Amino acid sequence: MKVVTLMAGALLALATGPTQAQQVPAGRLLASNCFQCHGTNGKGPGFETLAGKSASDIYKELLEMKRKTTEIDIMKAHSKGYTDQQLWAIAQYLSTQR
Amino acid sequence: MTRIDIDTARRLLLKAAGAGGLGALLASCGGGSTDTEAAPVPLAADDGTQTALGTSRTTATLATTSLKGRVLVVGGGMAGAAVAKYLRLWGGSGVQVTLIERATSYTSNIMSNFVLTGQKTVAQLGYKYDTLVSKYGISRVQDEVLAIDPVARSVTLASGAKLAYDRLVLAPGIDFIYDPMDGGIPGLETPSAQAKILHAWQAGPQSTALRNQILAMPSGGVFVLTIPAKPYRCPPGPYERACLVADWLKKNRPGSKVIILDANPGITAEVHSFTDAFTNVHAGVTEYHANASIQSIDPATMTLHTNLGAIKAHVINAIPPHKAGRIVTASGLADAGGRWAPVNVLSYESKLAAGVHVIGDAAATAQPKAGHIGNQLGKVCADAIVRAFAGQSPDPAPVTNSACYSPITMDTASWLTAVFQYDPASGGMAVVQDSFREAEQRSKDHIEEMNRWFAALMAETYA
Repeated sequence: MKVVTLMAGALLALATGPTQAQQVPAGRLLASNCFQCHGTNGKGPGFETLAGKSASDIYKELLEMKRKTTEIDIMKAHSKGYTDQQLWAIAQYLSTQR
Repeated sequence: MTRIDIDTARRLLLKAAGAGGLGALLASCGGGSTDTEAAPVPLAADDGTQTALGTSRTTATLATTSLKGRVLVVGGGMAGAAVAKYLRLWGGSGVQVTLIERATSYTSNIMSNFVLTGQKTVAQLGYKYDTLVSKYGISRVQDEVLAIDPVARSVTLASGAKLAYDRLVLAPGIDFIYDPMDGGIPGLETPSAQAKILHAWQAGPQSTALRNQILAMPSGGVFVLTIPAKPYRCPPGPYERACLVADWLKKNRPGSKVIILDANPGITAEVHSFTDAFTNVHAGVTEYHANASIQSIDPATMTLHTNLGAIKAHVINAIPPHKAGRIVTASGLADAGGRWAPVNVLSYESKLAAGVHVIGDAAATAQPKAGHIGNQLGKVCADAIVRAFAGQSPDPAPVTNSACYSPITMDTASWLTAVFQYDPASGGMAVVQDSFREAEQRSKDHIEEMNRWFAALMAETYA
């Protein structure tokens, strides 16, 4: 039964081709939390434009803000809501935006 | 003619009539060639078969997918506009999106307290749907949904038209409770009472009318603001309003008072900022009372009967208790309390009707009812629907965020932010305590940041 299901799945995949493999870009939904203040896909208008910056630069900046415990501004507070892995996924997605 | 022939001829005639009706509908939506406009798909009058109308025109770069689906979005506020935009951006051109909204434009609730001080006009807070249509290829229908058939997956509009869907997204915002049997304040049941005792909590004509009532106040006047029990739209909003009105009265109607009657056991948001505002910044003007209960309001004598005794006022601004917008409560989509829609926060799909999603203020979640986060709920919902069209499950760990700036005076503001993570144990969204903060100090800089934030948020939602 399991084999039949798997085969049916494989056949379906073959029949529909690669365009049906709708892979949602990693980090896209997470990064969309930035869009309200930094614009759709981080392209503005709004605060600092994030699109196309290097992932490591964005990540480093986010981590610095997250670790800061004094002079808490809105972005330093905000960055504390995400795990380091989530911040990395956000940084990577934004770096791919042109 | 046989019986069958007559039926066939009748069906053909009805189909022809349906096509004509559709042409007229497109023309009234602003014209354009019918072969390139995205259009709602009406059910044919006879047998419910549907006709697709080609692909839509856009200027934005939509995701390249081969997904197909029809989504109806009901309500063009912050959540509804965002879900419509992102369904197109992330779903691609094969995802047909129709935005059904009865108003010609959206009036932002955010910043609308500045109408009361004369720093903004309602017209300045207006946002049209034109860009959503022209840039993203969203179809716009100016109408109201009267009924939902979640089994046949169709809605009936006030115009009589029926629209079919694969997914329905409801973003109707809030309605006010006036019936005392349901928790409303006695005395405000009639339209004439409601025309005198304003809420101004859905920005629009009431915002201007309340501004005019404040302008008509004498020096030494009394303004009373009543705040309903949680949950209500925009947790810091009523306190922000009290601050702005107090600041304006201080400068323009000396000796006046702002009495805040809060049904909650204490300030519900930005406790530090608003405590400072009511005890220091606006000392002598504001008078804050927690756990206030209003037995009734008499519009004729402008008197509130409360647990603190009778209070006479020049202006009474009563914000009634809230519930989800009518289409949610009228469609059996509200929870046992009858006020809000229970949803799965991974997708915002209703727990009571498959294929129907409820986002924004109308949804029952632990997240605040507010525009910034409403936009984000729209994106979580859009992502989940796009994945569903691809045969996938929703993102198992969505994150949402809330942020806002709150004026404390006419030229200073504080801020508030919170991030919410999915909590598998409760199946709900839970605030990350470390991220849940407010400004340590109000400032003029925060007013500048507020203007920038507002412009960004509205562009992200409507442009």
